[in-house]
Amino acid sequence: MKIVAAKKILEANDRLAEENRTRFGAAGVFCVNLVGSPGAGKTTLLEALFAELKGRLRLAVIEGDIAGSIDAERIAKLGVPVVQINTQGACHLDAAMIAAALADFDLDAVDVLLIENVGNLVCTAGYDLGEHLRIVVLSTSEGDDKAVKYPAIFQGSQALCITKADLLPLTNFDVPRITADMKRLAPQSEIFQVAALTGEGIPAAADWLAGKCSP
Amino acid sequence: MHELSIVETLIEQVQQEVERAGHHGRVLRLDLTIGRLSGACCDSIRFAFELLAPDTPLADAELHITEPKATCRCQDCRAVVEIDQFPVGCPRCGSRAILIDGGRELLLQSIEIED
Repeated sequence: MKIVAAKKILEANDRLAEENRTRFGAAGVFCVNLVGSPGAGKTTLLEALFAELKGRLRLAVIEGDIAGSIDAERIAKLGVPVVQINTQGACHLDAAMIAAALADFDLDAVDVLLIENVGNLVCTAGYDLGEHLRIVVLSTSEGDDKAVKYPAIFQGSQALCITKADLLPLTNFDVPRITADMKRLAPQSEIFQVAALTGEGIPAAADWLAGKCSP
Repeated sequence: MHELSIVETLIEQVQQEVERAGHHGRVLRLDLTIGRLSGACCDSIRFAFELLAPDTPLADAELHITEPKATCRCQDCRAVVEIDQFPVGCPRCGSRAILIDGGRELLLQSIEIED
């Protein structure tokens, strides 16, 4: 006999993600999923944004890594509540991992939850975590062709942060090229050029994020 | 991409559907739809299924996969073209003002079980 299912294979994840989103909504938490390659500068960007947002918003972080707690220790040093998820080899975070991590936060004391996903431009695109927006972090040293080569992750994003902008003169990274590619893939997406180490562009990105959190 | 965890989820999902239908038999056939732009690779799905299906009621199931293409609509020349990968621009005129529909399906369509 035949059972007609006609269901999404990742339906279980989507359902849990929706539950996470409902929880965030009820607690007044705005959730951001930060994705990018290993070494793109996701944690460094977070550190720089926190310096800018301190006192304006109550922040919390979930760090996703295959192993170790290096990133969580960096965030904890800033006095921001942080939970480290070790995926034990999995290449992406999923909604169930986020739901489990939420038990360690007092969500009523959080305005913005930033989830730093596992460094990966491929698999992270398939898993909704329950976030309100996705920011892609791409460093100038990775090259300007990444949106064309990994379209799915860029397509669903609301912002692109081009990090290590202070290195632009030393690379052949073509900002107009990626801007044009983003216009095609994600016309709604904002583009920021930032350099966390010099502070370039950080206030603009922080203000945009703060505006998104409290419209 | 992450075909192993997709197949893991798929096997759980099939077992739930079979249970919900009040059956316990072996699964003989699965029909899946995996769009060309879904990011999942069918060969890897099959490989992961071979690894994970033994010792489950799906051990003998055949996988039938449909791979729908996506549609690229050009805002300039109005061409509507079927595509199987993300284009840089309109395949006809090269314009970058394009909209892409479909091709991202990742669906369990139906399950055939032993009567």
